[in-house]
Amino acid sequence: MARTKGYPEALDKKLADTRLYEDERHPDFTKTVEKVSMTIPHMCFQCGTCTASCPSAPRSSYRIRKFVRRALLGLEDEALTDPDLWLCTTCYSCTDRCPRDIAPTDVIMAMRNLAFKRDIVPVNFLKTVQAIYTTGHGVPNNDVNRAARQKLGLNAEPPTTHGFPQYVKGIQYILDYYELKKNADRIVKEREG
Amino acid sequence: MAEKKTKKETAPKKKEATKATAKAAPAAQKAPAKEQKKARVGVFICHCGTNIAGSVDIEDVQEYSKSLPDVAFADNYQYMCSTPGQKKIADAIKEHNLTGIVVAACSPRLHEPTFRTATKEGGLNPFRFEMANIREQGSWVHMHDREGATDKAKDAIRIAVAKASMLEDLFPKTVPVEKAAMVVGAGVAGMQAALDLANAGIKTYLIEKNPTIGGRMSQLDKTFPTLDCSQCILTPKMVDVGRAENIELMTCAEVEDVEGYIGNFDVTIRRKARGVLTPDEAEAKGIVGGGCNGCGDCEGVCPVIKPNPFEMGMKPRKAIYIYHPQVVPLIYTIDWDSCIKCGLCVDICGDKKAIDLEMQDELVKVKVGTAILATGYDMFPIEKKDEWGYKKYENVVNSLEFERLICASGPTGGHLVRPSDGETPKKVAFLLCAGSRDNTGVGKPYCSRFCCMYSLKHAHQIIEKIPGCQPYLFYMDIRSFGKMYEEFYYRIQDEGAKFMRGRVANVLEDPVTKNLIINAEDTLLNRPINLEVDMVVLAAAVQPAEETERTRKLFGVSRSMDGWLLEAHPKLNPCGTTTAGVFLAGVCQGPKDIPDTVASAEGAASAASIPIHRGEVELEPYFAQCIEEKCAGCGMCVNLCPYQALALVEKDGRKVMEVTEAKCKGCGTCGGFCPGGAIWMQHFATPQIIAQIDAFLVGGAK
Repeated sequence: MARTKGYPEALDKKLADTRLYEDERHPDFTKTVEKVSMTIPHMCFQCGTCTASCPSAPRSSYRIRKFVRRALLGLEDEALTDPDLWLCTTCYSCTDRCPRDIAPTDVIMAMRNLAFKRDIVPVNFLKTVQAIYTTGHGVPNNDVNRAARQKLGLNAEPPTTHGFPQYVKGIQYILDYYELKKNADRIVKEREG
Repeated sequence: MAEKKTKKETAPKKKEATKATAKAAPAAQKAPAKEQKKARVGVFICHCGTNIAGSVDIEDVQEYSKSLPDVAFADNYQYMCSTPGQKKIADAIKEHNLTGIVVAACSPRLHEPTFRTATKEGGLNPFRFEMANIREQGSWVHMHDREGATDKAKDAIRIAVAKASMLEDLFPKTVPVEKAAMVVGAGVAGMQAALDLANAGIKTYLIEKNPTIGGRMSQLDKTFPTLDCSQCILTPKMVDVGRAENIELMTCAEVEDVEGYIGNFDVTIRRKARGVLTPDEAEAKGIVGGGCNGCGDCEGVCPVIKPNPFEMGMKPRKAIYIYHPQVVPLIYTIDWDSCIKCGLCVDICGDKKAIDLEMQDELVKVKVGTAILATGYDMFPIEKKDEWGYKKYENVVNSLEFERLICASGPTGGHLVRPSDGETPKKVAFLLCAGSRDNTGVGKPYCSRFCCMYSLKHAHQIIEKIPGCQPYLFYMDIRSFGKMYEEFYYRIQDEGAKFMRGRVANVLEDPVTKNLIINAEDTLLNRPINLEVDMVVLAAAVQPAEETERTRKLFGVSRSMDGWLLEAHPKLNPCGTTTAGVFLAGVCQGPKDIPDTVASAEGAASAASIPIHRGEVELEPYFAQCIEEKCAGCGMCVNLCPYQALALVEKDGRKVMEVTEAKCKGCGTCGGFCPGGAIWMQHFATPQIIAQIDAFLVGGAK
């Protein structure tokens, strides 16, 4: 058995029915994505300029063109459950070059928001939320940075919530208002125990 | 035969009637319409299948129409434009003794002529017909509002009835047509159109801004899908144009001004100073056996070197030059911007005395009956899409530059080389839809239509000429829709061209090797591509030629949203324009390959020859009329008229205004202005329009 480990499962996957069925399509999903993103994924003609512009695509399986296609067809589950959704760096190169004047980045951002409503979000994103809540920074200052800043003649702490910690409260107020921190804590706890 | 007969019958009547209307018009102004014959209007409502009936309650509208004042009869039918529909109108006129007809249907643009004919067949003057548009401006825009669409249809009919009850008999004027035509632009479209017109026996003025005819086609190396040498098939036509007796060719010429109307256009042409006399011009000046014979001695001694625009700037020319050896006419031209007037050319030309360094532009006036615009295209400045690096990286060229580089008569003698180092490329990428199908506002939203096919041809040419050279075609769709085009696509794929289905995101340059790195996605494999090539060819979009805008304004031709000239109807009248007597040929109307361009040119020539062969055209009788007893002779209208149609004349010892009917376009400028209300706009007379406004604001069923 050990020698064939993984093979039957892999074969099952290959033999699965991968046809596109009409009941997978949710036209409302297309409309919701368009409303949230304020752009027009239904106008995509699949030229691939977005994927070719993407700094993430050559390094991962992330294909933004596929997500725009899913938005166009209303393939909600396929789009929101694909972990690739979280590999966009939001550099907006695709948005700059799209010949159909779609903003693919905004389509991704809309889908991320919709996924979050279903608790589908990678833990590292939630930890960023927690870091912002405590420090006001997604990437807080550290000793290496502090040393580098001082070497350049700058204050060790930048003039942000690091320099003025009293303003962290305001950020916390916003995150509390949208229950972002609460939800992040809850999901992290569910995942990591 | 039948047509001739009616003509003969109506001809004598026409004259009498025109006189009668001129007098009847002021009479109508003085006396209210009711004192004339009591108006009896017939209303016909069209279902247009479900186009109208789908959102308008036809029965309700018909009942309403019957209740309107002056309506003697109302009816409806599935398709009023059909033969039975038209017969209903003719029959009702006789049966109910109608004096005016209203058809509530589509737009007058579409079917006014149809229903006017039907009205005429019923024995009524065709101008006693009025159309109510309840489709384009009714049912179509209020598709989901039945009640609103029905109410709007009632309004439209009420207004139309108000006018129809006051319409008068009008008689179109016929004017003779000058037996000559003009073609603007001498590319393949203009040449074909001019040859057709000339062969049909019509004197044709062919105007070309460049020193030679031939246009874009003469810059191409080969033509798809047959791979004929472009020059080889074009040169005979160029020679024919040069020789045709009926063609008066004017190169280095531009249209300066256009006046008049169909049948009688007065066109002023600026013949730009060429600096060189043709043998004919020389003879006219008394120089025996002189004039330019194209020997080229002048070019040999000229010290000024400039880039040749015909070679896309990749080959030098002198300040006195010809574009290429096959130019028609073979006459040298001086580029005044670079000539230093050293006089060396004049000396070497000697007794021929062909060169005149003091030559001035000349204005020539010609009269033509019809005109064809064939102004062609320019390449879109593809450097505006900076991600592809045109004009930034040396080895990125556009497709017209590629044509010159691969052409046997081009700057490299047909040996394709990289501009950076003169090396033969081994890998060439073709970027299709470069600037076409682009909705960003930078490029062009339309498909440029011939780039797919010429890129296939380019791929073939490099495979044929450079053993081991690999073409890559980056495409979104291959549009090979013409005769033998799909077969050509098959052939090129079989020859080894690689088709990559993906639009190129950006092109980068290796600063050392000057090679280019292409980033695209193979959308069929779903994988990003990183490809290093020696050369990139951008199949750039095309756009209307620079001078198109100025020329179209002179001829009063509209343009569509994308900048190309607007045809009268995209399907049923693609060569005509909304200006009578002006036609379109070739790419100026929209991107076309050579077969389509030639076909459109022949269509335009045929259309342009019809009024000339008929010898006369009918003008719509919408001209202004002066009510002489009211005219104070102030003459203010004379200067307002945009068409120079008005003049002050002496009559019975005082000055009154007089209209040259053939010049009047019925714009209404004078009629709206006249302080004494002394100008009667036929068919759009003040009482008629007031009646329409009254009907809309206060009218309605009792």
